[in-house]
Amino acid sequence: MIEVRNLTKKYGDHIAVDHLSFKVDEGQVYGFLGPNGAGKSTTMNIMTGYLAATEGDVIINGYNILEEPEKAKRTIGYLPEIPPLYPDMTVREYLTFAAELKKVPRKEVKLAVVHAMQELSIMDVADRLIRHLSKGYKQRVGFAQAIIGDPETLILDEPTVGLDPKQIIEIRELIKSLGRRHTVILSSHILAEVSEICDTVLIMSRGRLVALDSPENLARKSAGATVTITSPATADEMRPVLEGLEHVTGVDFTDDGEGTVTAHVTFDGEGDPRKDIITALTAGGCSYYSVDVQRASLEDIFLELTDSEDEEYDDTDDEMTEDAESQDRLNSVKTQAGMVSDEKEPESSESDSVADTEQSETQEEADSGEEAE
Amino acid sequence: MRAIYKKEIKSYATSMSGPIAVAVMLLVVGYMFRYYNLSYGTASLVYTVFNSNLIFYIVVPVLTMRTFTDERRQKTDQLLLTAPVSLIDIVLGKYFALITVFAVPILVMCILPLILIPLGGGEMMGTAYLSILVFFAMGCAYLSCGMFISSLTDNLIISAIGGILFVFATMIIHNAYSMVSASNFASLIFFIVLAVLLGILVYVMTKFYWASLGVILVCALAAFAAFMVSPDWFGGKSEKILSIFDFFSHFESFAYGSFSIPDLLYFVSVSVAGVVLTIARIQKRRWS
Repeated sequence: MIEVRNLTKKYGDHIAVDHLSFKVDEGQVYGFLGPNGAGKSTTMNIMTGYLAATEGDVIINGYNILEEPEKAKRTIGYLPEIPPLYPDMTVREYLTFAAELKKVPRKEVKLAVVHAMQELSIMDVADRLIRHLSKGYKQRVGFAQAIIGDPETLILDEPTVGLDPKQIIEIRELIKSLGRRHTVILSSHILAEVSEICDTVLIMSRGRLVALDSPENLARKSAGATVTITSPATADEMRPVLEGLEHVTGVDFTDDGEGTVTAHVTFDGEGDPRKDIITALTAGGCSYYSVDVQRASLEDIFLELTDSEDEEYDDTDDEMTEDAESQDRLNSVKTQAGMVSDEKEPESSESDSVADTEQSETQEEADSGEEAE
Repeated sequence: MRAIYKKEIKSYATSMSGPIAVAVMLLVVGYMFRYYNLSYGTASLVYTVFNSNLIFYIVVPVLTMRTFTDERRQKTDQLLLTAPVSLIDIVLGKYFALITVFAVPILVMCILPLILIPLGGGEMMGTAYLSILVFFAMGCAYLSCGMFISSLTDNLIISAIGGILFVFATMIIHNAYSMVSASNFASLIFFIVLAVLLGILVYVMTKFYWASLGVILVCALAAFAAFMVSPDWFGGKSEKILSIFDFFSHFESFAYGSFSIPDLLYFVSVSVAGVVLTIARIQKRRWS
């Protein structure tokens, strides 16, 4: 388990990481998401003991990285943004050195090296100099270095950068399988990657945590939905009906010119609003041809959360409630992102427990059987 | 520490730097040996060793320029510093590897007194080996300082030039004593120059303009105040301060037949200081 408390890193006047707090549970894959310069790499560098923090604590599997660095580092495998490779060594020499450095028992070094090479399928370049390898191979050698010695926690800074599509899929599969036995924390700015392999997403912006939740929950809860209705009724007929509905934040009409009108209704609530719309339209005497719902994608949420630099923000996650100060700050973005209705009382942990099968990016078709007349 | 030591030794053996350093040392020492001992028929090895100090101009930069500069350039310091190894082990592992490479030609030098036995070198065997010991100690001090210089920058060329300049400065600084007047007032000026240098150092480390100005002013005023109170205290102090970096005089003494333990201890303490400064420097970078 990893706990980050009130972590702050300043470079002169520039604040790279700003009072960051979160907890990471065992046996899960966590994804750091954020634009460039959000503080992802800095946070990872502090968590692994490469950099010292200006303020705050990092507890890695029960050891404080500042007070007992060697014990803490023993439980981490780290793949930095640029893989730390010695170009003059062969892959085997390099991995042997890494294993010895990580205090793998002398008898097991050979086995550990071969095992790591097999996992990353780099056996075929085992005796080649690292300087002659392609970028994808170098990245994989760096990855092999991280998993050598079977550490409890893997911290991977952009693990799929520089790989070709086939290798990306292989690495993702590997991370998924590693995630069953280890705690994995990875950073990425590829949203699809994070939503595919991570159980939990931490979105960072300007050194602060703006969201911590599962990708599905984030997509479902934060940005609401847009419903598109095509109807032969006129805008004036539909407007009072639609605006009277709950959670509607905006209604916009366009005339299709073929005797139909398209209405775009935005919702901020959870769940599927189509049933309410259909009931209301039928009750209001408006007919319709189709009702489609479109959910916000992770991308929308990402942009929404990371763009709001000036406004204050908020997080739903109950873990954050421990920290009253950051809680206050977190409250506002959440509200602004439509995540929380009550500012002072953050939503409880239900966000994590609700089983959500809805695919965030799927556009659901309206049920044809309900098409009117 | 073992893993780092092994890796360093391997990298010196497989890259150019190790063989070049050893070859240059053997070449220079061999030439001096032929010139002083074999041509002139001198039985004492002292002159050979004394004149071999030239090699440091090449050996120090060649061996030390990469130690930490390369780690930082290739970002491999991230591997070392996030591994379950203490910083002291990392620095010592590298330092012992440097000393090991340097010890190879020193071991070859140990054969030379035996060759001189037919020339009557048997009686001078003791001084010969002591001179090699001082030479080795001086080398260890240089390597330690060179390692510190390499931890200051991530540019190989700057690191190499820094090493050469350091060797140059420590070799000629005894000449500078005569240039700096021993008078009280000249020493005051010297202290003020030191204050300015310290201020520049503070600025480089912190990039904080006012802090460096403050340091300069406080130090300069303190020196001036002390000068007003007891001007005699300043007499000859500049020479004392300069002599901290005077490797040559400590090395030279044995050539005049006066081997002394303090000289040897001087080199040992410089070596320790270099290692400690390197550790402090790397630690400091983690915090900035």
